[in-house]
Amino acid sequence: MSTGRRTKILLDGVEKRFTSARGEEQIALDTVNLEIAAGEFVCLVGPSGCGKTTLINVMAGFERPGSGTVTIGGREVTAPDPDHIMIFQDYALYPWRTVLGNVLFGLQARGVPAYEARGKALAALELVGLSAALDKHPHELSGGMKQRVSIARALAVEPSVLFMDEPFAALDAFTRLHLQDELLRIWQEKRPTVVFVTHDLDEAVALGERVVLMAPHPGRIQRILEVKLPHPRERTDPDFAAFRKELFKEFHLVHKEAAEAAEYTI
Amino acid sequence: MSRILKRSLLPAGALTIFVALWQFAAHYYPPEQFPAPSNVLAALRELSESGVLWANVGISLARFAVAYLLAVLLAIPLGLFLGRFIRCHRAIDPLIQVLRPISPIAWFPLAVLWFGIGNAPAVFIILLAAFYPVLLTTIAAVRAVPAVYLKVSANFGAGSRMTFLRVIVPAAFPGIMVGLHIAVGTAWIHLVAGEMLGAQSGLGFMIVDARNFLRTDQVMAGMLLVGLLGLAIYKGMKLVEKSIGRRWGVA
Repeated sequence: MSTGRRTKILLDGVEKRFTSARGEEQIALDTVNLEIAAGEFVCLVGPSGCGKTTLINVMAGFERPGSGTVTIGGREVTAPDPDHIMIFQDYALYPWRTVLGNVLFGLQARGVPAYEARGKALAALELVGLSAALDKHPHELSGGMKQRVSIARALAVEPSVLFMDEPFAALDAFTRLHLQDELLRIWQEKRPTVVFVTHDLDEAVALGERVVLMAPHPGRIQRILEVKLPHPRERTDPDFAAFRKELFKEFHLVHKEAAEAAEYTI
Repeated sequence: MSRILKRSLLPAGALTIFVALWQFAAHYYPPEQFPAPSNVLAALRELSESGVLWANVGISLARFAVAYLLAVLLAIPLGLFLGRFIRCHRAIDPLIQVLRPISPIAWFPLAVLWFGIGNAPAVFIILLAAFYPVLLTTIAAVRAVPAVYLKVSANFGAGSRMTFLRVIVPAAFPGIMVGLHIAVGTAWIHLVAGEMLGAQSGLGFMIVDARNFLRTDQVMAGMLLVGLLGLAIYKGMKLVEKSIGRRWGVA
């Protein structure tokens, strides 16, 4: 964690077990400790089964840890909170609402008066560059635009934490790069704490101030890499390549272990 | 234009051939046994001119509307409730599963015993016929609301009232619409049956009454009208469904 910044999210010995259909107990998360500073951008990466999605769900309050605690802003997380908004891979927009209606949802849930809510929603939509699509329905939008709406919906309620669960994984490469840059711009403007789950190592190196590499069986933190490069990052830069290489090396190690472990269990 | 022509030409041609064959075949039977299309048309005109037809159509449509609306008003709230509260559904489900396969017609003796002869037994039978499709599709639609919709709602701190009215109900609506659609069909089918058994008016009664006087042409005229009205209601329903589907972003 970078020095001088306030701790925002604190994971203390977080553990999560599942019982599979065959009655075997699986450790999804094995004593995870992590400290995330206020306004920090942290990426969680790892192969499937490493528990990164479980971890972000626990942090966002959608799941309770088996043991250990998650604290955000000094308060223990026990349920979802409008101050910590999750952004999903499949956008999770309401198809019967227009773009504006979707962005208004969170404000309506909070009981913000209508005209004030409208102002906030319009500002959020402006921030993601969707001011021209207010009255469209989600099915009329491309995947990238849908994810912008979902980001605007989150920003409208001014959360202090954004949880993003593989938000760009379903998008084509160009849209993904574009939205990564947009997200960075918004992050630098609003400075929320961002926890960003991805399985794309390049994306993690491009975005994260720190990259948390996770390993499976049992799900755990393998290594935390600090990417000491200023934003926005030039992806063709030799320094970028160096971080990328380091992460890939570590990732291959994780992957090899995971593959071997899988072989033993067979 | 030519596409419309092509699309209407084939069915129109088939219909013409069907009617021609019917006319030809009817030639070999006495009209009391197997009336020709021309007889049926004449009967339709006769019934229409005497006013019997329109009075009965009006009564049937009114019964249908009342029974269908009652069924919908009962089935949708109950379905929303049972879809939302899985435990209640689990408790009631066996009862529903036993009652559902009983044909609404089988309720007829009880309906007459309870409500007497008149509108009520027919309305009751139509209501039963419409009730189950709406109930079952509503339950299924509520249970099929994507979990992520509820996650978003919970995340933004929406209360249970807002989640129910502004997430679950609209999310389930296209599914409920399918049930409403199916129910129109089953309810219309049972309308005639219900009126044949207990009522003293309506299209079903008109058919039975014509049978009693061996007016087979009028029997067929009644059947034809039932079919045409059913088609019209079905088409109207389809239009409503389409426009709602467009608004919901599913069509």
